[in-house]
Amino acid sequence: MKVASAPGYMNVADFRSGLRVWLDEHDLSSGPDHSLDAQVAQLARVRRALFDADWMRYGWPAEVRGLGGPAVLRAVLGEEVATRELAEPGIYSMIEVLAPTMISYAPPALAAEMVPRLLSGREQWCQGFSEPGSGSDLASLTTRAVPRGDHWEISGQKVWTSLAQFAARCVLLTRTAPGHNGITAFFVDMDTPGITVRPLRTMHGVDEFAEVFFDDVMVPADRMLGRPGDGWRLAMDLLPHERSTCFWHRIAHLYTRLDRLLAETSVPDDAELGAAYLALHTVRCRSHATQRRLAAGERLGAETSVDKVLLATAEQQLFETVRDLLPGVLELTDTPWRSEYLYAKAATIYGGTAEIQRNIIARRLLDLGRE
Amino acid sequence: MDAAEEHLLAETLRKTMTAASGQALDAALTDLGWAELLVEQPDIAVPLTFRLLGETGAHAPLLNDVLLQAADRPVGGTLPLPFTGGAWIVWERDDAAVGTALDAELPLRSVPIGASVPLAAGRVALGWWLLGTGRAMLTLARQHAVDRVQFGRPLASFQAVRHRLAETLVALDGAEATLVAATDELGALLAKAAAGKAALTAARHCQQVLGGIGFTAEHDLHRHVRRAMVLDGLLGSARELTREAGALLRAGGSAPRLVHL
Repeated sequence: MKVASAPGYMNVADFRSGLRVWLDEHDLSSGPDHSLDAQVAQLARVRRALFDADWMRYGWPAEVRGLGGPAVLRAVLGEEVATRELAEPGIYSMIEVLAPTMISYAPPALAAEMVPRLLSGREQWCQGFSEPGSGSDLASLTTRAVPRGDHWEISGQKVWTSLAQFAARCVLLTRTAPGHNGITAFFVDMDTPGITVRPLRTMHGVDEFAEVFFDDVMVPADRMLGRPGDGWRLAMDLLPHERSTCFWHRIAHLYTRLDRLLAETSVPDDAELGAAYLALHTVRCRSHATQRRLAAGERLGAETSVDKVLLATAEQQLFETVRDLLPGVLELTDTPWRSEYLYAKAATIYGGTAEIQRNIIARRLLDLGRE
Repeated sequence: MDAAEEHLLAETLRKTMTAASGQALDAALTDLGWAELLVEQPDIAVPLTFRLLGETGAHAPLLNDVLLQAADRPVGGTLPLPFTGGAWIVWERDDAAVGTALDAELPLRSVPIGASVPLAAGRVALGWWLLGTGRAMLTLARQHAVDRVQFGRPLASFQAVRHRLAETLVALDGAEATLVAATDELGALLAKAAAGKAALTAARHCQQVLGGIGFTAEHDLHRHVRRAMVLDGLLGSARELTREAGALLRAGGSAPRLVHL
């Protein structure tokens, strides 16, 4: 069944109900294999089906084969995907930072050619930001890009790059001059000679991210995103997407985990259950307000650090509750809970550590001056 | 009411609450038309008035009115209110009962038992009050951190201090989001729990940041600390409400998603 196009679903309630009917009729459930390879294949399958049926095109501009409508429709789609557990929300949500970046910074023809490949699941991409010496202190990155005629030569190393081993392209931050204004972004084909990807084993047992080495990699100058020195602004412009739509997806996912815990636990600890629920409800309310501000055209900034701290705190509290209310299960049995519990430990580390978020809140929201 | 009118109303209320408290404030608010505002525009009256009570540190027996109004009874009287631990109190409209509660400024009188009251409306009102008192504590602690110099540096330059204040803001902003979203019984229960917890978090962090001065009667902080504890106990404490939410979840078998895009 094809969804009616123009004027299309500009209204959240109609979009949601139409989507639910379609998802009820088209079974996109994942199989029993929970390996990362299977998850990535499942993600591609889900994106492809949703794109081909137009759902994945709403909320994106026509220039990249979108059908327009408010961006909040993407949050609704992601929530349904997370609630039905069709795809792991972390890797699903990567579209929310990669596609808007391309739309804002890539030459229009390049965005028009490439973004539909991502949205339709025909390709995976990765985001080459962090480095061994630059985690939350992104401004200190050192991967170098040097002009060589109509190319740039890139050398350096990225780390914690999610899905790099599956990615066809990379949105890469490089150093072209000193300081915040010396960071420049490129859109790099991952099969370019000189790129080596080495998957990293993580604490939770999934090779979700990788080290990526760049040895004299030649990238055409027309693959630059924006102009030289726009990289920092590009990274900061990700915030509204990373802290609103992505968060809404993740929160929807965490609710499914609380539901699952309720089904599985036999420990009647209402205080702990209620506290985990209260933390989730709080971040959902906050994220809802952030979504509305974004929809009203407001520019999001430092105040989204509050959302980030609330989400990381709620996520870790929820999984501590899982461990407490399923005693022994994740230590002694072969259960998906174990990997999820361990992964939650990263919630206060990735995307800017909890300490960095509190520093931002202190400096920018509380106006406490410098440390 | 447009934004300019609301701003004007807020300024009038703030001035009134700065000038008077207790019975006198009750009378002043009556003159300003509090009862009419509550009946006609509760969505504006309750958040604004109760948040300002918290921010200014004033008090007035307005919780009675919110509950009476929700029960379709005439405002201006009193009714027994459930307190944590199965206790009941009456929040008197005159100042004769002042002095027995932990917050000695409040005219609270214990009573043996009462009838059930419309909890949701009262919990939201108390939530805004707790949020306001939490914000007042944060303002006091922030100013102290900026002004006070120790070891040759402002307190505000120490990361341990900054992070306590940041955590306080996170708790208060999170609670505010739950209050804005509270449109039903469960939403009101959760919002009161979040606001109570946030105010108690603010009390803990802000008192620590204020150090010795925050433990003395000459500084205003202790009044907010006491106020937060008493307000938290009214119509269900954060601890009781959180446990109640957990019991509801277990009985229902799933976690209600209360806000939607």
